[in-house]
Amino acid sequence: MKKLKLNISSLINCVVFFSLLITLPVATTLLPKKERSEMENKPLQKMPSISAKTVFNRKYMNDLETYISDHFVGRTSWIRSKTVLETSLGKRERNGIYILKNRLVEHIAEPDYNSIDKSVNAVNKFASENDVPVFFMIVPTSAEIYADELSKNAPNPNQRDVINYVYRSFGKGITTLDVYPVMESNKYQYIYYRTDHHWTTRGAYLAYAAAGKKMGYTPLSEDKYDIEHASDEFQGTFYSKALYDKVENDTIDIWHPTAGENVREVAVTTMYGEEPQLYDSMYFRDYLSVKDKYAAFLGTNAPIVTIKSGNEGGKLLVIKDSYAHCYAPFLTEHYSEITLIDLRYIQISYKQLLNPEDYDQVLFLYNASSFISDTDLRKLAYD
Amino acid sequence: MVFSSLTFLYYFLPVVLIVYIFLPNRITVPLGGDRHLVIPARNLLILLSGFFFYAWGEPFYVILMLFSTLIDYTAGRFMAKYDDSPAKRRLCLIVSVCMNVGLLAVFKYSDFIIDTVNVIFRSDITNPVILANRAINDVYNFGLSESRVALPIGISFYTFQSMSYTIDLYLRNIKVQKSFIGFTSYVTLFPQIVAGPIVRYEDVAAELDERTVNINKISEGICFFVKGLAKKVLLANNIGIIWTQIKAMDYREISAATAWIGILAFTFQIYFDFSGYSDMAVGLGKMLGFNFPKNFDHPYLSRSVSEFWRRWHITLGTWFREYVYIPLGGNRKGHGKTIRNLLIVWGLTGLWHGASWNFILWGLYFGVLIVIERLGWGNVLKKLPSVVSGLYTFLIVVFGWVLFDTNTLSDAGQFFKAMFGGNGLGDSTAAYYMASNIVIFLLCIFASTDLFGKLAAAFKKKKGKLYAGVTPAVTAAVLLLCTSYLVDATYNPFLYFRF
Repeated sequence: MKKLKLNISSLINCVVFFSLLITLPVATTLLPKKERSEMENKPLQKMPSISAKTVFNRKYMNDLETYISDHFVGRTSWIRSKTVLETSLGKRERNGIYILKNRLVEHIAEPDYNSIDKSVNAVNKFASENDVPVFFMIVPTSAEIYADELSKNAPNPNQRDVINYVYRSFGKGITTLDVYPVMESNKYQYIYYRTDHHWTTRGAYLAYAAAGKKMGYTPLSEDKYDIEHASDEFQGTFYSKALYDKVENDTIDIWHPTAGENVREVAVTTMYGEEPQLYDSMYFRDYLSVKDKYAAFLGTNAPIVTIKSGNEGGKLLVIKDSYAHCYAPFLTEHYSEITLIDLRYIQISYKQLLNPEDYDQVLFLYNASSFISDTDLRKLAYD
Repeated sequence: MVFSSLTFLYYFLPVVLIVYIFLPNRITVPLGGDRHLVIPARNLLILLSGFFFYAWGEPFYVILMLFSTLIDYTAGRFMAKYDDSPAKRRLCLIVSVCMNVGLLAVFKYSDFIIDTVNVIFRSDITNPVILANRAINDVYNFGLSESRVALPIGISFYTFQSMSYTIDLYLRNIKVQKSFIGFTSYVTLFPQIVAGPIVRYEDVAAELDERTVNINKISEGICFFVKGLAKKVLLANNIGIIWTQIKAMDYREISAATAWIGILAFTFQIYFDFSGYSDMAVGLGKMLGFNFPKNFDHPYLSRSVSEFWRRWHITLGTWFREYVYIPLGGNRKGHGKTIRNLLIVWGLTGLWHGASWNFILWGLYFGVLIVIERLGWGNVLKKLPSVVSGLYTFLIVVFGWVLFDTNTLSDAGQFFKAMFGGNGLGDSTAAYYMASNIVIFLLCIFASTDLFGKLAAAFKKKKGKLYAGVTPAVTAAVLLLCTSYLVDATYNPFLYFRF
């Protein structure tokens, strides 16, 4: 009798094993395929086509394996359940993202000062070659401002040190804008997104107000704005990386001057050399209904964006990363024209695009994380 | 293809297994009259699926495997044909061994040899394999490596397996395999082709011709497979992340505690990675009706270095013992020769793991320690309390892993210096790594002892019914858990593919 019982157990074991091995791939095959994963913020692999070349260089196999895992039945649920399991076992970092009590922050790599020196030298060269006042703002990120919430000893480079080092290395023609104190002292306000690597509109406003004195404008006070909660369902890039659900979704705020927006034209050049696309607002509301909601501010990164306002004031050139997108709207109150250029998307010398001396001021605006890893500022030194 | 991938687990495996289970060993097709065509259906399926499995990862250099198989099969047939001519039999053996060792020399060691020659003679010789790859790429654009020779997957395993056949045939330990499908299915048997265990032909000779597949065997195979999958996906991959990070640090700056955490993480990673792979192979073998030899037996519980090597990668040790150590005279020709033979075997064992001085030194390090144990130290170890001799052996092995997995000898030197406090004892990095990984470390320690096996055996004995009921639940749970890790495979390298 005993032997029979063991056989039944073996049978059940086989049935369990094979039913999983059969149902999951069959379900995967039958379910409709999506083109991209909103959750993970990436396009999904298409079914690869087979040819002698793609087989022998293994591209076909690699793509097919990616295809299978990209479309595997219940993909995001599998990943989420793994995250939940790991965090309940005490793991506090996932995919380069630290999970704090009520926010996600980035695990930033240790700075490479050789690389930073290259950026600094290029900016110094830029400032000495062009007869125009140059301002530089490095914004600390949430990993720095909320570093005290990290688990003890978690690797997290000190951004204050990096910013100090960079500011000390700048030559005479560069005015540094230190917004560290204002971010630090307002850390209990909603100045950084909980699920995204950007600052919030309020964070940008505080920096704009703090920089006014050095840049020569009188910032509008907060009560001169009507704040619109444009979306409260924002799940940003940190969320996509960590797929961690227990942090509250973010709110996207748009600050409208009570006196009315005075923007005449927003020209976005997606490919330099081509004609820009023209818009009449700085807010691209279509993006509020998709995953990447931060792009509601001046769209996704483009090489050149020019904003013409109806306000009086000079011309400003902003060399920037995406932190500038929710910052630039505040500046339109004080400048008649603002041109934002993103060096990451420009492969030719800036001199072929524009002459900085045509502008009254030049502002460099980077967050500390992207500044540390930046390899594009050095292009300013090329001829 | 690797076992721990969705492609293997949910596509390749179910298709092959289900077809396999419903096929008979042989299909006899009447050709009219008295003539029949006997198709060894299951062996043919093993051959085709193994070829597909291998070519999936190595679509071009699969030709090397076919070449090697063809030569060894032919050598075997000729050996049988000229059974009464020792000279011709020897010639067959020499052709087979030279061809296999030659393949290894060209595709595994040529870069190392040429680099060494270039350094000594200050020459600038380019590896002919690279020149050939470039020529092929120029015409066909296959994307073959043009800077270093990329080691064809599993070449160290299948050449050794294949040689075990011709050598044993020469030594008259086995009978010739007349069927080409039979012999090729032995080489391409997908559970063991890319990362062992090194199944000798002798081990499976009988099963190649006749084997049974039944529910009990399949279920037993499933248990082995699932255990191996868990070791690889849940333990090795997760603890491996720690070593990947610490390995990348500057060894001139890391504290002793960080260095120890790093190398202990690797100690567990390589064990669970490799033994997990072997368990999966054994399990798959059982599902197909084969009984592969055991490859690991709780090596970290060993009480001497000699014992460690009887418990670690057992099939490799057996291979070198059978085909190198014993033919050289083993321990039967006096102390001097025994020591020489041991050092040859251990130098080769090191070299088998990879073409670099680190590996050769790593092998000789164990060789020397084993010689010392032979000379009397082994008897001392036996008398010591097991905690002491166990700890001694474990530390020796851990120091070995430093040599094994740092990139150069000077890196290894700096790492040793860090381990002994050259850059301070502890720091916040170490505290962070320890605090955030304590659970996985404890799990690994537990799983490398024989405690789990003992508990399971006791449970089975006392509560047979419950045990029988729990088994399928464990299968399902582990499979689901591993699937969630595989879907989220941000980190899934297979360490033993380098060898």
